[in-house]
Amino acid sequence: MKANLYLTNILLALVWALVTGSFSFVNIVFGFVLGAAALHLIREQVGSLGYFERGRKLFSLAVLFIRELALSAWRVARLVLSPRMELKPGIFAYPLTVDRNFEITLLANMITLTPGTLTVDVSDDRKFLYVHAIDCSDPDGLRRDIAMGFERKIMEAFR
Amino acid sequence: MTELLQNLLVGSMMLLGAFFALTAAIGVLRLPELYTRMHAASKAGVVGSGLLLLALALFQHDLSTVTRAVAAIVFLLLTAPISAHLLAKAAYGTGYRLWSGSVLDEMGKERTRKGDGQAGSSR
Amino acid sequence: MTGEGFLAFAGVAALGILSLSLLLATIRVVLGPTLTDRVVGLDMLVMVAMGIMAVIGIRTGFTLYLDIAIALGLVGFLATVAFARFVMSRRYEAEFVSRDERGIYREKHND
Repeated sequence: MKANLYLTNILLALVWALVTGSFSFVNIVFGFVLGAAALHLIREQVGSLGYFERGRKLFSLAVLFIRELALSAWRVARLVLSPRMELKPGIFAYPLTVDRNFEITLLANMITLTPGTLTVDVSDDRKFLYVHAIDCSDPDGLRRDIAMGFERKIMEAFR
Repeated sequence: MTELLQNLLVGSMMLLGAFFALTAAIGVLRLPELYTRMHAASKAGVVGSGLLLLALALFQHDLSTVTRAVAAIVFLLLTAPISAHLLAKAAYGTGYRLWSGSVLDEMGKERTRKGDGQAGSSR
Repeated sequence: MTGEGFLAFAGVAALGILSLSLLLATIRVVLGPTLTDRVVGLDMLVMVAMGIMAVIGIRTGFTLYLDIAIALGLVGFLATVAFARFVMSRRYEAEFVSRDERGIYREKHND
């Protein structure tokens, strides 16, 4: 159903490009936005409420990711430039709630690019993610951060 | 006016990106062991190069350049963590020990408890 | 006043800083106690080189440097993956494979 709506949206964008007679990239994107607006208008009739909800959630996942990435680079810079480096590294196991391959890959990549954590391995039964943390004095807190932050957002966006 | 703004933005982004690349290199040199070095290389390195590529996209701002720069950044974001954790896994598998100041190693504990002799016997 | 001067200054400064980081990463490649440390240094070199190409692209106005940066990133990624596989296979060889006196590989049976 949702894939259907996505196809409809692309179709609407193509129709817009046909009618205006210009196939430039900007015009097609504009047509896509117009199509989304049209679908938004008839959301009650075609049941496209979930479609927009999902788009919003994907967007919020992306925003969270970019914010965390900037924060993590800043933290690495501060750690490296401090005269005495306070390091308490360690590897902790993170119990996975997501179980599809695609979601595990996404979560592992995002963990690697966020402050102070780096994915080392997935356990053979795909129940645990082994994460190396640069400050591992509070592994429970780190686990909670990942579960409340990325994993929840990924579940919201792809379920 | 817009030209001034654009030049200022591109210039400061270049300086910021170069700064992050420098911190990543310092981290790779200064941190005590492989796993912590990888933190510096994968995070600060990606942000540094990403900012420089974004500066190029903002400077040229024609369509083909912008799409190629965005593609390069997305590619960097996808590949850097993959190569980092592949290397970490290989290093851990070959018995590269954690730094002596490490506080926790649940991976080693799990492996030895399950009697998975492959990682245990090589260390 | 269009900020041209600032842009030129930023370009030169960025190139200087990036060259310094290139040097630091090279020192790690030379020092690195194990092969994996050297590979991390190599990874860092590739990323800094991509950044340098972007800065040169801004300074000269040739966007062709972007394609070169993408190609370099691809090759660097493949090199890192190949090195990781190599490290893993070397360990496998040390642990499970032995060579007899004629130099033929055999699987170890150590049970």
